[in-house]
Amino acid sequence: MTRPPNLIYAVDEVPPVAILIGSAIQHVAVMAITLIFPLILAREANLSGMQTLDLVSLSMLGLGIATVCLSIRSPYIGSGYLSPAAYTAIYLGPSLFALRRGGLDLVFGMTITAGFIQLCIAPLLKRLRALLPSEIAGLVIAILGLALASLGVSYGLGIDNGQSIKPDYVIVAGVSLATMSILNIWTKGYGKMFCVLIGIMVGYVASFAVGILDFPAILAGTSAQLFRVPHLEHIGWSFDPYLLAPFVVAALAATVRVMGDISNAQRLNDADWIRPNFTSLAGAVSANGIAMIFCGLIGGFGINSYSSSIGLSGATGVTSRSVGYAIGAGFAILALIPAAAAVFAAMPLPVMGAALFFTAAFVLTSGLQMITARMLDARKNIVIGFSFGMAVVADIYHNAFTAVPFVFQPIFGNSLVLGTVCAVLLNLITRIGVRQSVSIKLTPGAINREAVEQFLSDNGARWAARRDVINRATFGVVQLLEVLGDPPKGVEVDASFDEFNLDVRVRYAGAPLLIPEKKPAPREIMASKDGERLLAGYLLRQSADRILSRQNGDAAEVTLHYDH
Amino acid sequence: MNTNALTIGHSHEGGVCVVTLSGRIDSTNANDLMSRLNALISSGEKSIVVDFGAVLYLTSAAFRALLVATDEAERNAAKFVLCSLGGHVRELFEMGGLLEVFTIHPSRAEAVARLA
Repeated sequence: MTRPPNLIYAVDEVPPVAILIGSAIQHVAVMAITLIFPLILAREANLSGMQTLDLVSLSMLGLGIATVCLSIRSPYIGSGYLSPAAYTAIYLGPSLFALRRGGLDLVFGMTITAGFIQLCIAPLLKRLRALLPSEIAGLVIAILGLALASLGVSYGLGIDNGQSIKPDYVIVAGVSLATMSILNIWTKGYGKMFCVLIGIMVGYVASFAVGILDFPAILAGTSAQLFRVPHLEHIGWSFDPYLLAPFVVAALAATVRVMGDISNAQRLNDADWIRPNFTSLAGAVSANGIAMIFCGLIGGFGINSYSSSIGLSGATGVTSRSVGYAIGAGFAILALIPAAAAVFAAMPLPVMGAALFFTAAFVLTSGLQMITARMLDARKNIVIGFSFGMAVVADIYHNAFTAVPFVFQPIFGNSLVLGTVCAVLLNLITRIGVRQSVSIKLTPGAINREAVEQFLSDNGARWAARRDVINRATFGVVQLLEVLGDPPKGVEVDASFDEFNLDVRVRYAGAPLLIPEKKPAPREIMASKDGERLLAGYLLRQSADRILSRQNGDAAEVTLHYDH
Repeated sequence: MNTNALTIGHSHEGGVCVVTLSGRIDSTNANDLMSRLNALISSGEKSIVVDFGAVLYLTSAAFRALLVATDEAERNAAKFVLCSLGGHVRELFEMGGLLEVFTIHPSRAEAVARLA
């Protein structure tokens, strides 16, 4: 790991107390904006003022615990990188669906279920890559963005069941949204960084001016208390298999987001970063699962890693894990201060609408960027286009889909689930015949390594394979040829590729390759050519994601597998 | 002509001998590298920096050559360091567990400054 030059405090370093506290406060401010999601839940559930305060306080505690879980470095849990948490729009649709079907108990129960789903997914991350390639992950996020925008418009314009628009809501939402947008586009530094927070504050002032801010009502009952342990009386848990599909999809989407965020955190701390460390990713997904279970138990909302905070740590150059622990302590203290919760609990609906609509723009475009990051061939066009279309159709013709058999209703009744299920199924179907194979034969006396380099390089470019994977495969084959020398019947190299796998098979006549598990000592390597061969075998084992050596009669075969 | 063939150049920066490598280092050219490094050490160079900035990759034969040169430098009381190990090359050192065996500096300037 090479420290990038722009880092001020790297992941394992502990900044001085003043910088630690300053960094933590900045993250707390950015993360607290996402309390909007549990607040939406509280509004939709018609919670009383005190219950809303309890929910916000407990949600703050959830943010702190989740940040510590995600940032901690241990063999099983945590990414080992500064990874602040945030409540996420990913769970908003499924949670509101659960709220309407079974109340808050069902929301909390299903949040715990989603946590267990993530714990099950964590050890299978590598294998699931084929199921959720980046363009499908992008599609899920884009659909989420659309759902978020729709809710933002509804809140911002004050559209109720009668479909009427409230003019005072339009004014507040307009002022708030304009502030966020102007700061985001035309300012730099803190203005840009805190555009949502400032926009929300301006929205509060505008709400007060038009008379829709009910701050005193929220504060009633808390004025006498500086500190208060939040109550858990309103919390219960239930489970409904009908909701499993939307929560599985949401857990998968949240997992994809954790993987993206932690990969980014790894890259920020290593100038030589080439590909993600899956041990760290799996630890982060497990931590997210545990944080979800905790949030469900304390009556909270779906939680995830937070791209904005990781971006903030990169912008400030402070990526120290210790900041994560300070954030945890900060939120634990805020959870005990009712006034802190009241500030958020009093948020007027049009201000929430503006923040949701603003966030939706970034969620939607980040999804679209993920979709188009790789070349879209005919197969991907059909997978993405059909699935996106079906997701939109699920919302437009919602009533028509209520006629589908009961077992399919969780799929057809939710745009996110329908779009994702379509994409995963179409992706699996259209992958048939996608694997491409090529081979080259090297005759005895002409084991030409340059030819192999050219062969892998040309085909890698034709397949649009990642350069770093082709480099590793080229090294593997050249290193192997070096060990094999000049076999009597020459060498045959087969390479087969699909989007997720590169397999190189090297066939020759001779003894099977010795692949040592133990690293040879420098003295052993220097002592003889045998030591050098041991190092070669060890390097091959380390550089490939899997290696297999076998013999059949006179012929031997080595298979090098690389994840793509 | 193979554009990835190893080229070895050397120059002096202050009292430090800087060996610049480019291309691929494998069993076809590792002996050339070992001979060149050993010759420099034998000729009395006391501070040698090997710049890997333009190396594409290296195999076990190259690692052996570097280990032998390090050993030779130690026996001649010469300082022998490596620098500018980027991306894939650094990864190979890491895979072989050889990052700790050699003295490695991030850049040529830093390596020269340390040995000067």
